[in-house]
Amino acid sequence: MARVGRLLPCAFVLLCSSLGAQEAPSEPSVHAFLFGDMMYMEQEGDAADGFKLGQTVGHGNVLLSDRVALFGEVSLTGRDTGYGIEVERAILRYDFSDAFKLSAGRYHTPISYWNTAYHHGLWLQGSVARPEAVKFGSRFIPVHFVGSMAEGKIPSAPVTYAVGIGNGRAENIARAGDAGDANGSRAIVASAAVQPGGLLGFRIGGAVYVDDAPTSDGTNTDERITNANIVWDRGRLDLISEYINIRHVASASGDVTTSTATYVHAGVRLGGELRAVMPYVRWEKMDIAEGDVVFSGVVPDYEAVLGGVRWDFSELAALKVEYRNEKFGSADRTGSLYVQASFAVPLFGG
Amino acid sequence: MRQESSRRIGAWVRPWVLSLSAMTALAGGASAQSTAVAVAIVVHPETQVENLTFQELKAIFRGERQFWDDGRRVTLLMRAPVAAERRLVLDKIYGMDEAEFREYWIGKMFRAEVAAGPKLVYSSDMARDLVTVIPGAITFVPLNEVSSETKVVRIDGKLPSEEGYPLRQ
Repeated sequence: MARVGRLLPCAFVLLCSSLGAQEAPSEPSVHAFLFGDMMYMEQEGDAADGFKLGQTVGHGNVLLSDRVALFGEVSLTGRDTGYGIEVERAILRYDFSDAFKLSAGRYHTPISYWNTAYHHGLWLQGSVARPEAVKFGSRFIPVHFVGSMAEGKIPSAPVTYAVGIGNGRAENIARAGDAGDANGSRAIVASAAVQPGGLLGFRIGGAVYVDDAPTSDGTNTDERITNANIVWDRGRLDLISEYINIRHVASASGDVTTSTATYVHAGVRLGGELRAVMPYVRWEKMDIAEGDVVFSGVVPDYEAVLGGVRWDFSELAALKVEYRNEKFGSADRTGSLYVQASFAVPLFGG
Repeated sequence: MRQESSRRIGAWVRPWVLSLSAMTALAGGASAQSTAVAVAIVVHPETQVENLTFQELKAIFRGERQFWDDGRRVTLLMRAPVAAERRLVLDKIYGMDEAEFREYWIGKMFRAEVAAGPKLVYSSDMARDLVTVIPGAITFVPLNEVSSETKVVRIDGKLPSEEGYPLRQ
C-alpha cells in the first residue's frame, strides 16, 4: 500500500504534464470570491461572550487551460493571540472528461456531505455553525485530506464518485498530514452519491474511509469510517441528514469500539413577501464508545438541539439568529445565543 | 486553420467577457429587453452536435456535463439579468429565480464542481458573435434573432419553430 501511495502522485504529475503539453494554449479564466462573517454571542458558563470576527475566506478557481484547473481556499481566523492563516484547500486538477478528473492537493475529506458542500463559506450554509461532528478542527472525522483524488460522474447514470489516497490523520488527529504521513500508512477514501437529474437538489450518498490512525501512546489504530447521507437543498426546503460510524481496533489489545454521530438539519423558506426568511432546526448526537483508544479524553459525547432564523437581507448577505442547547460529555446542559452576519462577494468572474 | 483561428480569437475574447462579467457583478446587471416567445439553443459551428435531449441540455446548462462528446470543454454564455430569454431559461432549464441561480453557481464553483461559471453576454448580437468564435461555446438567443450563420441545435428532435419545442413561453 505504501508503495502504491508513493507511486500515484508521481504518476499524476507525469500524466498531467505529458497530456498538458498536447493542449493548445489559452488565456486563464479566473473566478474569485470572498466569504466572511461577524458574530455576537451570549453563552452560559465560562465560554467567551461578545463580538467576534469569524473567518474571512478567499476562494479562487483558475482554469489554466481547457483541461487544467486550480482551486484554492485560504482562511484568516481571529484568535486571542492574533490571526491565523490556513490553506484550507489547494487542488490542481486535470479533467480528462466528465467521468474522470484526477487531482492532487489538500481537500476537505469527502467523508461527510456538509464537509464538502459548504467548506468555509458560512453564507452558503443554513445555520450559524457546522454540526459538531464535522466542525472546523473536528477530531471526530478527519476534516482535511492531503493526497490525490479521482472523481467524476458515471456516464448515463445519475451517480457521482470520488476515490482518494492520502496521508490520513496527523499525530494531532484534528489535522491532516500536511508535512507527510505521520505513520507511513496511507488513508483511502471512497464516496458516491445518486443525484437524479429530474430532482435537482436531492441526493443520497455514502462514503468509506480507512486508515491506521495514530494514537497518543504512539501506536496505530485500525480506523474505518462509514457515512450515509440524504439531502434536499434546493427550492424552499433545506433538509440534510447524516450518519457517521467510526470503528477503531486497538492494535495492542485488539479491542473493537464503535462511535457514532447523527444529525438532522431542516429549514423551510417562507413564501410570498417573507421569501427571504428561512426558519431552521437541527438535532445532533455523538456517542463516543467507552475505551476508544483514539477518542477517549479527546472527543466527548455530545447532544444538541438548536433553532434559528436566516434572513437574506441582501442577495449576497444573510443574518442568522440561533439559539443552541448543548450538552458536552457529563457537563450540564448549556444554552447559547448567536447573531451572525455572513456574506459572499464575487470579486471577479463571478 | 479555421479551428486555429477560432481558438486564437476565443483566447482574445475571453478576458473581455470576463471583465464585462465583473462589471455586471458590480453594477447589478445590464438591461436588454426582448419579447421572445421561444429561444433557440446555439452552439459553436464546429461542435459535433445536432440534437440534444432536454435532459442533456439541462445537464449542460447546470454545469453537470462540462465536456462535449468530442472532448472539448463546454463554455456557457448566459444573457445578463432582465432579458426575457434569460428569464425563460431560468424558469424552464434551472427552475430557479435570479437569487437561486446566483447561489447555485457560487456553490458549484466554491465546491470545485466546475472550473468556471457562465460568461455573461449583454445582447443577442454579442451572444451570436461569441458563440461562433469560442470553441465549445453554447448559448441561447430569441428565435426571431437567429441568423443564418448560427448553428441551432434541435431539442428532443425539435427546432424552436416546431410544435412541442420545450423552450417556449
